[in-house]
Amino acid sequence: MKQLTITHVVVIALTAVFLLVAMDRAGELRGPQAAYVPPAKPAPAAAASVVADSEKGKPPPHHDKIEDLPDGKGREVTFYTCTACHGVALIKAQGLTRELWDSTLDLMVEKHRVPQFKPAERAEILDYLSEQFPPRRKGRAADNPFLK
Amino acid sequence: MLRSGTSGASRRNVLKGVGMATVGASLLPAGAALAQGTAPAAAPKGPKLLEMDGKAKLAVLGDKPLVAETQAELLDDAVTPTDKLFVRNNGQIPDITGDAKAWKIKIDGEVNTPLELSVGELMSRFPNVSYKLMLECGGNGRSFFTPEARGNQWTNGGAGCPEWTGVRLADVLKAAGLKPSATYTGHYGADPTLAGDTDKPSISRGMPIAKAMEEHTLIAFKLNGKDLPLIHGAPVRLLVPGWAGSLSTKWLKRIWVRDKEHDGPGMGGFSYRTPKTPIVPGSKGNEKDMAILESMPVRSVITFPADGTKLAAGTRKLDLRGHAWAGDYDIKTVDISTDHGVTWKPAKVDAPPNKFAWQRFTATIDLPTAGYYEVWAKATDSKGVTQPFAARNWNPQGYGANPINHIRVLVES
Repeated sequence: MKQLTITHVVVIALTAVFLLVAMDRAGELRGPQAAYVPPAKPAPAAAASVVADSEKGKPPPHHDKIEDLPDGKGREVTFYTCTACHGVALIKAQGLTRELWDSTLDLMVEKHRVPQFKPAERAEILDYLSEQFPPRRKGRAADNPFLK
Repeated sequence: MLRSGTSGASRRNVLKGVGMATVGASLLPAGAALAQGTAPAAAPKGPKLLEMDGKAKLAVLGDKPLVAETQAELLDDAVTPTDKLFVRNNGQIPDITGDAKAWKIKIDGEVNTPLELSVGELMSRFPNVSYKLMLECGGNGRSFFTPEARGNQWTNGGAGCPEWTGVRLADVLKAAGLKPSATYTGHYGADPTLAGDTDKPSISRGMPIAKAMEEHTLIAFKLNGKDLPLIHGAPVRLLVPGWAGSLSTKWLKRIWVRDKEHDGPGMGGFSYRTPKTPIVPGSKGNEKDMAILESMPVRSVITFPADGTKLAAGTRKLDLRGHAWAGDYDIKTVDISTDHGVTWKPAKVDAPPNKFAWQRFTATIDLPTAGYYEVWAKATDSKGVTQPFAARNWNPQGYGANPINHIRVLVES
């Protein structure tokens, strides 16, 4: 610790700042442009509470990789279809029967304006989700005699 | 397009990790910083923790959109601090720049005088009020259903009771003048849909006029005495305490007064509705036999000690505390059991600071021996309705799960 003079600290700090600025200027620290660009709102210059940076206060952007889903037939089409809106973590937290996965796909088309699936793609996605994410929670309801 | 976005992002994250390693080189052990940006070797135990400026390390249920719940032991504050308030998004977070006070909201539909009010006008024209009010996700408790119901798997942490400041929605609706035909509201926020569409709402729910006119239903602009953070709905949001949080529209733009039940996204089908006739758990259900979830159900959470606490050898008494709440109703009693419900002992329950605030309960329990105990808490509301032993009335989207809460403690020998 005795060797760490103020000069060392300044040199380390300046080097770090230089590197970060250089990467920033190269565009490496900026997120991709959001698909949605809102209409500009008038921003009075001397207002009391002004939010100047549109990214301020937002969570960091999140991107999943296809490998975040378990391997299996239909993984690719499922990944690119679902992650347009949903994170992989939400998909993996589900545990639904085939019938409920089927109605979940309907829900996305009917309520959330997902374009109608091509029948072959829909079947592949449904097979994948039903196989990978069936009901897993154990309990008296897990083997309900009335459940299809 | 998705592909390039993905690879760009991972490259950026790696570089961010390098940047941090550079800055933090003198502070961190070598391995700590280098672990950033590489694929996780093994899944860490417990939930992924939120990393966001202004927020505590909440448990992340989903990253896209961001959904994060407050762990039970973080619900211990009498008034929930802003950083510990849960986060739920149905769409993307809107870009909102400029003067917050110039943000405008519209009140139209079944009113005599449609209004367009700036936040500045709202603040100056109507009485400003502050209350401690429960905000609770409609799906809170969903993870207690067996089998899994569709959606974010909340434990009890989609809830909090911070102090909100705003104007009464009733005062604003009176200023607009409700027509006799006014029966329901429809709420609109500025958040784009998950797909990025801005020409339709990500969600638009509404409530009967009686709930809109309730004196604790607010258009809120402050949270714990400070301007609302963007993630919690700045510049203004609705706060409809005791009912599903989806009514408490963030980034509020418009309230449409309707002459019938609102029919925006989030109002029909299985959304925020529970079966009138109980259905087989895990089955598809019948959307024609569902009723809207209005008041949230009675719930209790032990906030101290934390689940999994080890107690020193010889410990024979434990002071515990928690919070209980019940939508539109007050808590009458909270009972504690350390023997899986064989015997119960009443906890002390404090009065709420105002209606729609949660209530503190405290108890000193006996632990007659060393060993493993489950401590159960069961609240009963002012109507005499209590918490069930297991989540009941299973429904495809998982609303209304409020089973008895428990923590596990080990008295060391």
